[in-house]
Amino acid sequence: MSQSYNRGLIEDFGRWREFSAGMWAWVFHKFTGWVLVGYLFTHIAVLSTALQSPDAYTTTIQSLESLLVVRILEVGLLSVAVFHILNGLRLLFVDLGVGLEAQDKSFYASLLLTGAIAVASVPTFLAGVFG
Amino acid sequence: MAERYSSFEAGGRRWLWQRITAAFLVVVLAFHFFLLHFVNHADEVTFSMSQARMQELTYFSLMILFLLTATFHGVNGVYNALINQGLTGTRKTAVKLVLVVASAVVIVQGVRTALAWAGGVPL
Amino acid sequence: MSTQLPDQTEEESSAGEAEPTSAAQERRMAKKRERAAERDEERQAEEAEAALADEETYHLKVFRYDPEIEGKKEPRFDDFHVPYHKGMTVLDALMYARDTYDSSLTFRHSCRQAVCGSDAMFVNGSQRLCCKTQLSDLEEPVRIEPLPHAEVVKDLVVDMEHFYDQMEAVEPYFQTNDLPDGELEEQRQSRENREKVKMSTRCIWCGACMSSCNIAAGDNEYLGPAAINKAYRFTMDEREGEDMKQQRLEILEQEHGVWRCQTQFSCTEVCPKDIPLTEHIQELKREAVKNNLKFW
Repeated sequence: MSQSYNRGLIEDFGRWREFSAGMWAWVFHKFTGWVLVGYLFTHIAVLSTALQSPDAYTTTIQSLESLLVVRILEVGLLSVAVFHILNGLRLLFVDLGVGLEAQDKSFYASLLLTGAIAVASVPTFLAGVFG
Repeated sequence: MAERYSSFEAGGRRWLWQRITAAFLVVVLAFHFFLLHFVNHADEVTFSMSQARMQELTYFSLMILFLLTATFHGVNGVYNALINQGLTGTRKTAVKLVLVVASAVVIVQGVRTALAWAGGVPL
Repeated sequence: MSTQLPDQTEEESSAGEAEPTSAAQERRMAKKRERAAERDEERQAEEAEAALADEETYHLKVFRYDPEIEGKKEPRFDDFHVPYHKGMTVLDALMYARDTYDSSLTFRHSCRQAVCGSDAMFVNGSQRLCCKTQLSDLEEPVRIEPLPHAEVVKDLVVDMEHFYDQMEAVEPYFQTNDLPDGELEEQRQSRENREKVKMSTRCIWCGACMSSCNIAAGDNEYLGPAAINKAYRFTMDEREGEDMKQQRLEILEQEHGVWRCQTQFSCTEVCPKDIPLTEHIQELKREAVKNNLKFW
């Protein structure tokens, strides 16, 4: 065939208003997944200071926890994990063939619940950092 | 299109394990978060507290299992996301290698840390 | 309207040149002119009224691209205002635009009744069949673009070869080794079995689903929802026999087969024939897993 024009991906984020619920779910699940994998590696790295000495471990953890930025990131981590879990549950139901008619509603429900849990956890997570 | 299976073979096996590990992780990750942020507080963590937990065989084995399933689920997820984006050919093989090596590193390091706390396998 | 007056003057002048005008004739001609003027006025009034009533036009923004024409090598959007009538579809509007404003506007269409699958396009941000989409359901300006994730040949026409390749790859035809015993006996299918595959037989190969799938966009080797649905139609058909089912599952179980589906559901949403594509793909995944577990 003669030259045909490749427009590339139409869904650049400029057209986000056209995204459907299922597509948002896929995008967020991927994004939260990447964040969690990144965290897994960092987490193990931080924890492995225990191999140096008990003090190295305790000091590292406690000095990290004293930073406000880290505390806020932890709330972010919670939201990311909660969304991934809730949407993951939604996907498990889809895989079992249960509730396919309500799949977009269940996505919105996971978003809402994630927001609620994130907000509810803020007091506990930020406790003691302003002390 | 009916090519032979790749060395990571039938996508079906990894698909199923991704779901099985997912179900397991939903419970264990929630538990882990709860234990370390709500029951205990992250800013009060000390080596000795971690050690106390790790010396229980049940907790120790749960954490090891947690590490293995999370690594598989995460790395498999990343691998799939890349295939969906069109990763093919030599790059795909290279990425596969990197991911396998990275998983091994994480698992080994995690197990060593757990052993350091427990002072050996807590039988 | 505009043809009337010159004719009159022509008649007049020719009449004037042909023979000397008598007074009676003059009077008759004057009366004739008066009546003609009146008729003109009436007609103008009517048309003005009609124009006011028909004031409703729809504003279309249509993607244009032509590698062979200087001015159109860079894609652009052309504006068309088409007069609206009740029940007008996007296809009607495009045809009006082509017939009245720009005959170079190129797009595929055929049956105009949602059975041929030719006119799937990207309308106001989602894949739709133009002959099946009412203009009145759409917000103005109506953006009409060619299907996403496909190469554009010209204007609204995309290259469907990749789509057809994936469809061919699943062997989209009935095949069986499981023939009934008697030579002249029919191959029977129960009503329940037919019900099961009924929705999957409705595919018109329009390509909307594949165009809406983000995985199909990224992974060129992915079979795509239409192909997998086609495979479903035959895999689940009881007349095909066990070994044929195995063969079909083998094609579907590859790395770029059913496993690539991430249950985005866009395909199900855009399918103009309301086929529950994601559901079918999910069923096949479960079939494949059950099939493999048997060998453990």
